[in-house]
Amino acid sequence: MFPRWGNPRKRFRDRGAFFFTSQAMFLRLVTDSFTRRPRRKLITLAALALGMAVVTAALSVSLNIGDKLAEEFRSLGANLVVTPLADSLPLEIGGVDYRPVNAGAFLAEADLGKLKMIFWRHNIRGFAPILEAQVKATPLAVDNFPDTRGWPAVPVIGTWVNHEVKIPDGTIYTTGVEKTNPWWQLKEGRWFVEGKNECVVGKNFAKKNGLPEPRTSPGAPLQRTSLMPGNQLFTDTLSGKPGPVLDIVGVLDTGGPEDDAIIVPIEVAQKLTEERGMYRRLYVSALTKPEDAFGRKDPKAMSAAEYDRWYCSPYISSIALQIGEVLKGTDVRVIRRVAEGEGNVLRRVRTLLWLVTVAALLAAVLAVGASAAASVIERRSEIGLMKALGAGSGLVGVLLAAEQLLVAIIGGAIGYAVGIVLARMLGERVFGFTPEPKFFVLLIVLLLAAVVTLLGSAIPLRRASRYEPAPILRGE
Amino acid sequence: MARNLVSRTAMFWRIVRRLLTANYARLFVILLALGAGAAVTAALLNLQIDANKRLTTEFRALGANVIVAPKAGTASESGDAASSSTIEETILRRLPRQNDGKPIPTVGFLYLIGSVAKQGQDKFEPAVLAGTTEQGLAEVRPGVRTEFWAVEETDASACEIGAKAAAEFQVKAGDILVLRAQGREATCTVFSVVATGGAEDAQIFVPLVLAQMLGGLAGRLSLIEMSVTGRPTSIQKFIAELSRNLPEADVHGIKQFTEAEGKLYSRVSGVLSATVLLVLLLTSLCVMAGMSNIAVERKNDVGLMKAIGGSVQRVVQLFLAEAVLMGLMAGIVGSAIGILLSIQLGKAVFGVAAQPRWIVYPVAVTLTVIVSIASAFPLRHIAGIRPASVFRGEE
Repeated sequence: MFPRWGNPRKRFRDRGAFFFTSQAMFLRLVTDSFTRRPRRKLITLAALALGMAVVTAALSVSLNIGDKLAEEFRSLGANLVVTPLADSLPLEIGGVDYRPVNAGAFLAEADLGKLKMIFWRHNIRGFAPILEAQVKATPLAVDNFPDTRGWPAVPVIGTWVNHEVKIPDGTIYTTGVEKTNPWWQLKEGRWFVEGKNECVVGKNFAKKNGLPEPRTSPGAPLQRTSLMPGNQLFTDTLSGKPGPVLDIVGVLDTGGPEDDAIIVPIEVAQKLTEERGMYRRLYVSALTKPEDAFGRKDPKAMSAAEYDRWYCSPYISSIALQIGEVLKGTDVRVIRRVAEGEGNVLRRVRTLLWLVTVAALLAAVLAVGASAAASVIERRSEIGLMKALGAGSGLVGVLLAAEQLLVAIIGGAIGYAVGIVLARMLGERVFGFTPEPKFFVLLIVLLLAAVVTLLGSAIPLRRASRYEPAPILRGE
Repeated sequence: MARNLVSRTAMFWRIVRRLLTANYARLFVILLALGAGAAVTAALLNLQIDANKRLTTEFRALGANVIVAPKAGTASESGDAASSSTIEETILRRLPRQNDGKPIPTVGFLYLIGSVAKQGQDKFEPAVLAGTTEQGLAEVRPGVRTEFWAVEETDASACEIGAKAAAEFQVKAGDILVLRAQGREATCTVFSVVATGGAEDAQIFVPLVLAQMLGGLAGRLSLIEMSVTGRPTSIQKFIAELSRNLPEADVHGIKQFTEAEGKLYSRVSGVLSATVLLVLLLTSLCVMAGMSNIAVERKNDVGLMKAIGGSVQRVVQLFLAEAVLMGLMAGIVGSAIGILLSIQLGKAVFGVAAQPRWIVYPVAVTLTVIVSIASAFPLRHIAGIRPASVFRGEE
């Protein structure tokens, strides 16, 4: 860029105008301006680094926070429900299906591993099949001979807890109802273990069917203590056949109809209904992208390219379709209140966070630009001197721009490093995740720093190029 | 003589004015940076307050979160099954209409199992009939309504049918259904098909009076669902108060939604507040750092003032006055722009213009003035500046 002119000192004597064109001298001028007045440069650098740290932190956090929040929304539980296509109409009131026990269609439990083979398998965060039955149950038995006559029918819900599913690709996936219904919390005890005759009882059931306490005095009202882990339940099917004896291991609090039910491993419910390896309803919790205008389009009306794009976006509707493709003969429906509640809030929050990021960017850019502009404005006398020594306006501009660029790159790099540390601290403390440092954020930050400082300097530089050296040097 | 000049008030302000206007380029740059900071501060603060309020409304897309049901456990003890598993319809009138100034969509349900067939077909099949009070069903049980016939909705015998049931009976909007229960019969015209993904998909929603007539349960309800807007604590308070007022019924929140809502609300609003606060802090720091760079260059002015006899105190006052003036100018204009901006931004994010909250304005202006004063930080050594060194270019 700058031709070598031999000994710069000699050249300086010969032709002052070429003084600046010596490469060595040029570099020396630039470095001198850093080393001679380090404090002033340090402040410019600090302003730049701080601004870029803000940009880095804001970008890193907002690039990750959307996904993180979507994850949080899974605490609403399942957003898809799968039922047999050829089912009879469920007669469900308040969570209890009043159909005769074996009416309607069932689905095979063995197929469920296929759920983790769909295109968006990593977005499937959990699933649990449900098979309901009804029994008569009593905690009382005389000489191991229970009498369930006169006891009301109780719903039994068979499901998975911490169940290991074999995926066709050979891996094992652990899932269960605690993933699809996170609000099912145990008040006491623990969850049942599969393969054993264990059960968890709803809190209302436990209270209503409590064991009678010995009367303190004759005629005193009968007191019951709630069922607790350690008690046993004797069951009979509604037709009177003896069912399994279940060990109560926990008490469940769901705030829903399950509070009046007995929850058992699915194979116990399958034995009770004599529907081996079957289930009736499947809940799936999937991580989805909030539906936008495109996501709501009817896939049948899409062009091939649009369909591919839709199929490869984790919209709830496309995940539902993919589940339907692997589980034949099923009806996959979106649980609207969950999906839409989630979509609504997520969409808003994401837009809001981007706005905040843009605002932070804008403020940082303006502050950095202002600081760059100021640093040029204040160097009028220096510019005057250079011009008096024979430097052209273009040359002065290049010299100052080179200086600013150097500040921008150093400041940008420091800012990036600080920003990454900041984003990490924030991510861990405030948001509960660690944002990954992304290379393209560094590029953006460096580019932004360079563009902003140059732009900030451009206007005062243009003015500077018109300065007449004499009045400036005279201090006018 | 010089000392007297500087100490006079008129002269003081004249100097301040000259300080401000000596270099328009610099003044412009400073005001731009400070003003941008003020605008961002005001816009974000206003938006954040608004967003926290708005979020509670957005959560209502989840539908009902509070249930009024018959007291559990009474069924087995009282012989009268009809009245023990239902509640009085009159309870509806005793429910509050509002929470936190937002209306509460409330629907009373009466469930019964009946047989249903499309008119003209004899194939009766059992189905769940849900009698509902007229308004708020869409808010309480959100879903996707298709084939909506608005004309039919006002019909006294109009009914809504779940998507699964609609497929089963092969009906669409405009068709007539024959409903039978306990030996009674009625007809209704379908006005829409609803898909919710829940149990509603297999149910038929009929006017409450019709269900009460079919079931022989005049004046009774199975349960009441309410969609209460408010912060989690406000909803808990609402539930506690309501259960005190309705001792004959069981009032509880739907745990799936109240719990997740509480968790998500605090998480989301926490994330928002943290981000906004952080951005504000960093923005102020950033503006301050930018301004400091400018302040450093003022040493010449300080040196000159001291040289002609200005006391340290007077010089500090001069620069303070300049900083406050700049902060005020930038703050007043910038914050106003910021609030106007946030109204539009609110529209972009929530579809509803954000309400300007006036407390934001003075706060943003004050913050700007503070930042402006703090930017003069490098001048803290005014007392130590020796005019001679400054003029010699040593410092």
